[in-house]
Amino acid sequence: MILKIFLKELKDTLRDRRTMMTMLVIPLLLFPVIMNIFISVSEDFQTEAATKKIKIGMVGPSNNQVLKDLNDIPQVIGEKEIIFYKDTLALLSDLEKDSIQLGLVVPKNIIQKLADLSSVKIKMYHNATDMGMQQRAESYMKIIEEKERYNRYDLLKVDVSKINPITTEYVNIASEKEMIGKLAGGILPYIFIAFGFIGCMYPAIDLFTGEKERGTMETLLTTPVTRWQILLGKMGVVVLSGITAATCALLGLFISIEVMDLIPNKEILGIVHSILSPGFVVMLYSLLIPLTVFFAGVMIPVAIYAKSFKEAQSIITPLNIVMVLPAMVGFFPGIELNAITAAIPVVNVVLATKELIAGTLEFGLITISFTVMVGLAILAVLVSYKRFDKETNIIS
Amino acid sequence: MIQVENLFKEFELTRQQRKELGTTDKKAIPVNGISFNCEPGKIFSLLGPNGAGKTTSLRMLATIFKPTSGTIKIAGVDAIKNPSEARKKIGFLTGSTGLYARLTPNELIKYFADLYNVQSNDFEKRKERLYSLLDMHDFQDKRIGKLSTGMKQKVSICRTMIHDPEVVIFDEPTSGLDVITAENIIQLIRDCKIEGKTVIFSSHIMSEVDLLCDELAIIHKGNLLFNGSMENFRSEMRAPNLTAEFIRIVQNSSTLEL
Repeated sequence: MILKIFLKELKDTLRDRRTMMTMLVIPLLLFPVIMNIFISVSEDFQTEAATKKIKIGMVGPSNNQVLKDLNDIPQVIGEKEIIFYKDTLALLSDLEKDSIQLGLVVPKNIIQKLADLSSVKIKMYHNATDMGMQQRAESYMKIIEEKERYNRYDLLKVDVSKINPITTEYVNIASEKEMIGKLAGGILPYIFIAFGFIGCMYPAIDLFTGEKERGTMETLLTTPVTRWQILLGKMGVVVLSGITAATCALLGLFISIEVMDLIPNKEILGIVHSILSPGFVVMLYSLLIPLTVFFAGVMIPVAIYAKSFKEAQSIITPLNIVMVLPAMVGFFPGIELNAITAAIPVVNVVLATKELIAGTLEFGLITISFTVMVGLAILAVLVSYKRFDKETNIIS
Repeated sequence: MIQVENLFKEFELTRQQRKELGTTDKKAIPVNGISFNCEPGKIFSLLGPNGAGKTTSLRMLATIFKPTSGTIKIAGVDAIKNPSEARKKIGFLTGSTGLYARLTPNELIKYFADLYNVQSNDFEKRKERLYSLLDMHDFQDKRIGKLSTGMKQKVSICRTMIHDPEVVIFDEPTSGLDVITAENIIQLIRDCKIEGKTVIFSSHIMSEVDLLCDELAIIHKGNLLFNGSMENFRSEMRAPNLTAEFIRIVQNSSTLEL
């Protein structure tokens, strides 16, 4: 009987455009669309910033060494035009008006100072809101500083190795897989939690508050089916919708990676492919299914209590933030799965998924996380039943 | 057969409900120890003004609500101890009954037949009979949301009768319907009587009661003010017509309370 109710509710839900949008269309298209826009805008910007011909204002002697070095820098970094100013005020005024993009103030005595092997302080003005200009200025100055340093080494006949007594080579013992897991692994459970919650939301409201509002709940309760069976049949659809929405979102992300070449590094792409093994997917869903049941169990009592679709929506929507906030823990690199965090709902799923991706998951900790989530899911079902069994709640 | 003995229902009132009702009482008693019997082949009417306790009583008969005390027997089954068994024998229709707008009549009728565990052979026969009787063939595959009120009412009737219930409960079944659509319901109630089913319906429209019922109970503020045959009601009348007599009885009970 639960299956009959489940199938009917599923058919009903699949014919609801609003649910289909939140369950399939939005999660599936969101990432490819956002990634597409982000990548194309970012590529356009990078190309434009790299090739943009910029005007560099300069205050200082006309034959100074910095000017010569600047002119020697190849145009590959980007075309440039140097304009001389008599004073700093005029240079800054033009920089503010964006007539020039960088302003270089070189001391009058630079030639003498360099000849005396003294240190020279140069000021490079830039507008930080003009994206890419600071990077351009830094790359110019790095080249000039290096060139002048090596000139001085030659002049003093200094062996470079003698002034660098220690050279440290940093060797990372973490595998690429571990790095991806610990640093970027938080995004996967975050997406699942965010979309899983939204995916559960509309069916939960529609199948409980909606039925009350439309007057169909009363009819259903006069059939020989028990309230347990009705609740479980409906809850099954809510959970399935949540899992489908989350899966579609992850699928959307995967499509973005594969089709839009989101990860140009073939080695990292290979690692990402190796992470997504059938075993990983099974482990991931064994954590995420109880989480989705928990979500459904949080929403259903609210949906049963609410008298209208609007009321249910206004209570459940803020709950979304409460549920998604702990998921952000996954973005903090220092927080790890241990005996304490494994007992904190939502947080444990996020951290366990990160460990799972990194391949560093301890069996004991995943058992605690899984047990906590299953326990919570059972509790959520019992609370839902208690609400559903309360006669004043089920009739509008 | 419906047998009701000392039926009593008490609801806890929330703070908001107390505010809305303008009362300080922590409990509401919509049904206060009523008893009556409805016999097969007869139409029993539960008559009362708004808020009298009719809907609560019928919801208890339909096992949606659990009584605080008292007994209910539906076709010999104790509806309190064995609600699932009692529900198999009940068909329930209200004026505010909703239908699943995204399903077709065929899908909806099959769904309810499945919930009542109707055997496939019986289902096909009953469906065909009801579809012909209610002239439903033309719209059986259209989404219910796109049907007219009259068509929807026919689907509701079909849904109520698909498991061939022994007892049919109608809660203000014609409320909000136009005359032509209401006529379908009135015809259904008559057909149920002819088929020997036990029929109980609630109403606050005296003309409807006069037209259909054999037995009558008047309920007001949860108390039973009259219980007997329509014949007795007419013979004991002190007012010039049925509506006036109904009002007189209700007002008299209110005066006595004061």
